[in-house]
Amino acid sequence: MSSIEVTNLQKTFQTKRKAAGMRGSLRALFKPEYNTVEAVRGLSFQMEAGELLGFIGPNGAGKSTTIKILTGILHPTSGDAKVLGFVPWKERQKLAYHIGTVFGQRPQLWYHLPAIDTFMLFGKIYELDDCETKKRISFLSEAFEIRDLLETPVRKLSLGQRMRCEVAASLLHRPKLLLLDEPSIGLDVVAKQHIRDAIRTMSQEEKVGVLLTSHDAGDLEALCRRVIIINHGQIVYEDKVSNLKRKFLTRKMVEVRYAEEVPPTFSIDGVEILKVGSYGVKLRFDTTKTPVDAVMAHLSQAGELVDITVSDPPLEEVIAKIYTANSVVE
Amino acid sequence: MRQVKFIFALWKANLQAAMEFRAAFFTQIIFMMINNGVYFIFWILYFDKFNAVRGWDINTMMLLFGITASAWGIGAFFFGNFISLAEVIVGGRLDYYLSLPRPVLLHVLASKSIGSGMGDLIYGIGSFMLSGYFTPDGTLRFLLGVFAGVCIFIGFLVIVQSLSFWLGNTVALSQFALSALLTFSLYPSVLFDATTKFILLTLIPAALIGTIPAEFVREFSWQSAIQMVSGPLVFLFLSIFIFKLGLKRYESGSAIQVEV
Repeated sequence: MSSIEVTNLQKTFQTKRKAAGMRGSLRALFKPEYNTVEAVRGLSFQMEAGELLGFIGPNGAGKSTTIKILTGILHPTSGDAKVLGFVPWKERQKLAYHIGTVFGQRPQLWYHLPAIDTFMLFGKIYELDDCETKKRISFLSEAFEIRDLLETPVRKLSLGQRMRCEVAASLLHRPKLLLLDEPSIGLDVVAKQHIRDAIRTMSQEEKVGVLLTSHDAGDLEALCRRVIIINHGQIVYEDKVSNLKRKFLTRKMVEVRYAEEVPPTFSIDGVEILKVGSYGVKLRFDTTKTPVDAVMAHLSQAGELVDITVSDPPLEEVIAKIYTANSVVE
Repeated sequence: MRQVKFIFALWKANLQAAMEFRAAFFTQIIFMMINNGVYFIFWILYFDKFNAVRGWDINTMMLLFGITASAWGIGAFFFGNFISLAEVIVGGRLDYYLSLPRPVLLHVLASKSIGSGMGDLIYGIGSFMLSGYFTPDGTLRFLLGVFAGVCIFIGFLVIVQSLSFWLGNTVALSQFALSALLTFSLYPSVLFDATTKFILLTLIPAALIGTIPAEFVREFSWQSAIQMVSGPLVFLFLSIFIFKLGLKRYESGSAIQVEV
């Protein structure tokens, strides 16, 4: 059963155009000119109930606009969408009882109050009785490790602590679907990991579907099974995350450390040497052109190995490759 | 009943937020009461020289101030965002309200409390009690007058600020409208000519906040009763209609917000 069905969704905005300087300002005042920006262009996709779907793309790709249409915040210019059977912009209030939303750039917790007070207020907003709200807060405070933070005014929490409280608040009313818009924006590595772990746990335990927009590839790798990549308001790639990695993660990065010094002229055929230090080498190669075992054999012949690390390139690089491939096709 | 419980929960949260800064909260209240009192000194000096102006004496002026200050105070304290709705719209801050399952306009308006509004309300009640109209039926009519004033303040300013959906940033226009409404509501409209009176009943409905309710309290008449009921109803209905219409044009925004 689909929790989200989107068909040929379009959203255009009119933005005012103004030349630089005072002259431009005066001209715009008396003879305004507008640009039409197509934020979302004919988007169609489906999301199954309980699925973890990543919706990624660079800044300005149309991710946030799409999620705002799907929550009923924005009206589309044309096209159809159903979220849990509701048309978001027509049945916004009904839909809001069944979804949770987090906008990383727009806090929903009251800034001057402890998080627990906003949680209790949300209980009233979602028409939960006080006893049920308290039970739920207790459960979420364990799941998100926020028990000690609940009575501290939100303004005194770190960004990472606040985001954990934000996501927990969005789950208070047991939504069937969680729409997360850039939940990890501005967080450090540890805080991101905390948030991801908590979201994954909640998704598994309560079968909550998660639609996640992010331009952090780490969120996608850590949380999602399927990915949709959009650019300029259109889908440029849609597949399982594992397939994405197999198709585009063909380049491997290797770092090795030797027991003795490495000659500065160190080289292997078909391998790009990124850095040669006194006792170590960093290199990159394409597994479709140079076999892994050949590279490993060369590395072990070059001296006594002390340490070796093999890693995939960051997903940002993969996305850039898809964009490049897409623009070549265009 | 559902919405009443919800509104009380919002007011409770507002009060809790205000109590986080108790000293600032009580200072605002006290200074607003002093501010209103100082403003009224002008009328005390005026009526010291002239007993009445077109039938209005110092007691009626106290009544007018009582109604206007109370209406403003209730609006500011319980529905504080009616003054800053344009900023909320232009700043894309309606996202928060639209993502929750409650009527957007009611939710926005009641989500902010301006502490000084309580000072206006206390001053307004005090001014009414000293005006000489503090009788049982006078109090009932005063309450009705204040209710009408609250509806006009909120309805008119929601209409003006909802223009942001079409015109973009109308913060300056809204401040001008607010200033005009508040200023004219503190003067009896009997001072003005017929054209100005008409404007004060329609385009800038200040007479529906101050003069008409004050006349209604002073002496019951069907004309002022009808004006007091129909005016607020029209403005409230129009404000909800225009806001809802504008909401379809809402464009959100990408500004990073650091606090609520």
